[in-house]
Amino acid sequence: MTSQSASVAVTQIAGGLALSPLLIGVTQQAKARLQGRRGAGPLQPYRELRRLWGKSGVDVEGTTFVYRLAPVIVAAAMGAAILLVPIATGAPRLGVGQDALVLAGLLALSRLAVCIAAWDTSNGFALQGASRDLTLSVFVEAALVLSLAVAALVAGTTDLSGVIAGTAGGHLWTTPALALGGVAFALVIVAETGRQPVDNPDTHLELTMIYEGPVLEYAGRDQAYLQWALAARHWVVLVLAAQVFLPHPVGTWWQLALLPVSLGLLCIALAVTETVLAKMRILLVPRLIGVGAAVALLGIVTWLVETA
Amino acid sequence: MNTHHGSGSAYGEGIAAALADGWRFASLHATTKDEGRMVRTLLSSKDGDLRIESVTAAPDSVPTIVDLCPAAGWDEREAHDLYGVGFDGHEPLRPLIDHDVALEQFATPVQGHDAYQVAVGPIHAGVIESGHFRFHVVGDLILHVDARLFYKHRGLERAAEGLALNDALGVVARSCSGCWASNAVAYAHACEGVLGLAAPPELARSRTILLELERVWNTLNDISAICAGVGLAAGTSRFAALVDDARRLNQRLTGHRFLFGSVAVGGSTLDVDASAISDARETLARIRSESSRAWKALLFNGSFIDRMPDIGIVDAATASTLGTVGTAARAAGVVEDLRTTSPRLAYDDFEVAVLRRQTGDVQARLEQRALELLPCLDILDRLLDGPVRPVASVRAEEGASIGVGRVESPRGATTCIVERDGDRVGRVRLRTGSYANWPAVAHAAAGNLLPDFPLINKSFELCYACVDR
Repeated sequence: MTSQSASVAVTQIAGGLALSPLLIGVTQQAKARLQGRRGAGPLQPYRELRRLWGKSGVDVEGTTFVYRLAPVIVAAAMGAAILLVPIATGAPRLGVGQDALVLAGLLALSRLAVCIAAWDTSNGFALQGASRDLTLSVFVEAALVLSLAVAALVAGTTDLSGVIAGTAGGHLWTTPALALGGVAFALVIVAETGRQPVDNPDTHLELTMIYEGPVLEYAGRDQAYLQWALAARHWVVLVLAAQVFLPHPVGTWWQLALLPVSLGLLCIALAVTETVLAKMRILLVPRLIGVGAAVALLGIVTWLVETA
Repeated sequence: MNTHHGSGSAYGEGIAAALADGWRFASLHATTKDEGRMVRTLLSSKDGDLRIESVTAAPDSVPTIVDLCPAAGWDEREAHDLYGVGFDGHEPLRPLIDHDVALEQFATPVQGHDAYQVAVGPIHAGVIESGHFRFHVVGDLILHVDARLFYKHRGLERAAEGLALNDALGVVARSCSGCWASNAVAYAHACEGVLGLAAPPELARSRTILLELERVWNTLNDISAICAGVGLAAGTSRFAALVDDARRLNQRLTGHRFLFGSVAVGGSTLDVDASAISDARETLARIRSESSRAWKALLFNGSFIDRMPDIGIVDAATASTLGTVGTAARAAGVVEDLRTTSPRLAYDDFEVAVLRRQTGDVQARLEQRALELLPCLDILDRLLDGPVRPVASVRAEEGASIGVGRVESPRGATTCIVERDGDRVGRVRLRTGSYANWPAVAHAAAGNLLPDFPLINKSFELCYACVDR
């Protein structure tokens, strides 16, 4: 392992584990400022995690190991996703490979674990959230896989490290397919991070919840796992957006140096959309994400036509 | 005001005839007299005339009138729970205030494949009053909602009994902070009816200013709440800031953000000098321009506007049947506003703001509020033309044993009935706009999607406290 790939690996693991809550913190803080509030500061998610970690979990009466294990499975799946998604071209393989389709599988696994646990509690809100989440996931997964397929076609590989290299430099400006994939991926980001207009992360209204619904019963340490996993999910999709669909330079060092800037801009973009957009009617969400999938499909067609 | 006292069947026939003549149901309450328990029904005409039909419970039940006017449903259930009066023909007479009953007694049975229940409250995740909503749903589709309120019923009406008329005002108006002025003025009017006092123009002006100040912040607050219902944080904060501007103005003018203590029976002690008046005019002008700008920003926000139409519909026929009042009724095309028939207040030549699109959905209720804000500011602009001085009522006529005050609160018609016992309160009944409108919320929710319910609920923005009085 060269010193370059070693430092990429260290940044990737340390960043994914420790810096991912900062993404949520920055987004929340930017949102507060945009909405005329002072905000709790970008470090608030860390305080939340410390508070939750210090409390014991609560078992719902009548639940089984399914409920008990779900937070750990979710956190483990997202931990694996952090190892899987390279933050720059020179990233070494960290034991889980770097295949784009595995990422889709890990995201699905964490979703499934939470939804089965909701079934285990048989809480009305949890089940309702789970059923909404699973319904949407059909569309979100299609958009995710298709938008990554666009990037994979452009780069000629589904290996994410190769995808980052293959889309680096001026590619974005000369490849319309990649821009179309980027549009689809933007919708995937909104859906995977549970943000408006798909879901409202700040709501207290149980009846409207999608992602928050299935995890309503969790408390203390379990909740800490889930909140960290949500932060890690932000990290994974935003890193992919920054290093695949946003303009990024060719060299590994340059990619590393520019990553924080891209991530910051993406967080601010999330804050802006969440401030100016209301939550959509729930039955329109599949249509929105479906349009995303169709745009990605168009990207694939564009690429095939272009290279034919 | 005419009062009739009939026996069982004459009572029902009298009300049926009156309703056929165009009278509308306004309130029903039970009371205990020396000769036994009694039920009194207040009816109103379009011109603001009032009449009371009374009936003695013999021995402990009276004929129901819910078959004639479903709007009396809650009133009869309340009279049964609190006074033990039975209502013949009201089947099933489900408990309203009495919570100590089996679930089947208050929840409507729903049968069929895949139907299940979602219970929300009475403890909510947000800063919301106590109310239990039992949704009968299939998937995300609401079939029926049972709303159960009265978790914090304080017995304020009973607490007011035996107090001097002026002392009881503090108790009655405490029902709700959001509607303090409306409830207080309705009570004061009822007492002045009992005492035979009339309001000189200065008193009418003083009270009208208070009522409209209350309407300003409530209207802004309602719009802010609707924004919160769809998660539009920008709109929520912007209107919430204006709400606070308006409440701070209340504080500067009356010493209380919710106008507490600014109304009295038989006169007014409100004293606002010229500098406070000019401060008020300045603040209200700013609220006018800023709220117009904020409203335009809402209108041009496609994602917000897209959420509004075609949900939570209460059409005109339903609104009339259920006795819906206020903006909710006007948004459905029932053009009624007590401000057109309030001789004790200074609403000269008031005209009801009529919406072009009276569809009775969430959008119509939102637009009706926005539409009514400007006339409300106009009224304040007209009335805040000089200092407000303390003033006393003048004796106009002989007193009566029963007095009625009706005021258009921010949520709709609020009715207060006072029965005197010497110079003290014998029985007082406060029927607020929220009390009248809660059944419409449950009705509006049916057939909609569960995630839309918070928005539908906020488009009515009713008080819990006004009901749990």
